[in-house]
Amino acid sequence: MAFSRSIRHRRMRRKIHKDFDLQLTSMMDILVIILVFLLKSYSTSTHSFTSVPGIQLPVSKASETPPDSLHLIVTHEAITFEGLRVVEFIQTPDSLNSSQATYAFKPEDLDEGSMRIPRLYDALFKAREKAEVLRAKSPARDTSGNPLPFDGILAIQADKRVTYDTLRKIMYTAGAAQFRVFRLLATKLEH
Amino acid sequence: MLKRPSSRRHSAPQEIQINLVPMLDALVTMIAFLMYTMAFMSLAMESPLPVVSTEENATQIEEKPLQLTLSIGDQDVMLWSPFDLIPQITIPHQSDGRIDTLKIHEKVLELKQKFPTEKKIVLVPKANTSYESIISIIDSVKYLERTDPLISALNPKTGVQEQVKELFSETVFGNLLGGE
Repeated sequence: MAFSRSIRHRRMRRKIHKDFDLQLTSMMDILVIILVFLLKSYSTSTHSFTSVPGIQLPVSKASETPPDSLHLIVTHEAITFEGLRVVEFIQTPDSLNSSQATYAFKPEDLDEGSMRIPRLYDALFKAREKAEVLRAKSPARDTSGNPLPFDGILAIQADKRVTYDTLRKIMYTAGAAQFRVFRLLATKLEH
Repeated sequence: MLKRPSSRRHSAPQEIQINLVPMLDALVTMIAFLMYTMAFMSLAMESPLPVVSTEENATQIEEKPLQLTLSIGDQDVMLWSPFDLIPQITIPHQSDGRIDTLKIHEKVLELKQKFPTEKKIVLVPKANTSYESIISIIDSVKYLERTDPLISALNPKTGVQEQVKELFSETVFGNLLGGE
């Protein structure tokens, strides 16, 4: 009895397999729509900013995409400039957890009345010099034939819990290194 | 003898089936790549470094600017003008201690209606103000909401009244070089 049921069952299963054909056309339609949407919203500019794991950016209504520029990241552990760790914050057992981060500088990492960060200044100064050398070699000239001046733009990507005190020290240091414009980055608010 | 019936009508039509599987693979790969490399980041603000002038400002400025200043305190936010062009406005924080950005937006909108050509705002945060609060304040003083009334301003280049697209779009940190 069980044998005959099994044979019948197997036959039925084979039948289903024979008729079953996965409809890929509708799936293709969906994927093409998603692809078109992504291509439309994909910016072709040369920006290279990607979010860094471990930091939570604040959310902003701003819709402009940040143009490419020198890039500084403030994580709960350190300040990174152009991919290089420049200054580390004071780490306590609690601050290992990103929500308890201190964002406090070591006293030896500050000068000029605890406003300037010398190591960051050195890194920014070198980046400025490099940019100026590249501009001097570039064929692009201003109306009077001189190399284009250093634009001095610094994009800052920081965790939403970073205080203004930390940001101010960074901007003050960047100002001392002839960086004149600061771009504060945030996550796009989904509409 | 009957003629053999034509087999033309009975020949089964040849079904051409496009193999969609490799195309599907390519699409999925492309979507994954685009989503991975897409910019979900925005430029919240662009702030110039304040310039310290050693010259006497009073002699340079013929017409006093509004120089709208937003100072963030522990308990409230103050909107004021160093040239006393507006009465000082105090906006207390919400009961949970968060900054009342809706109220700030409301007041800034009123000020924009009075001074439609003004674009600059000086932000004076406290040392412990979070980056998130700064961004939310900038959002509230910069962007117009869809429900906001239309504001028009005279374009000095064209001499035509034009609709204002942003409130105070140029933000400068007032205490960047020193002070509280």
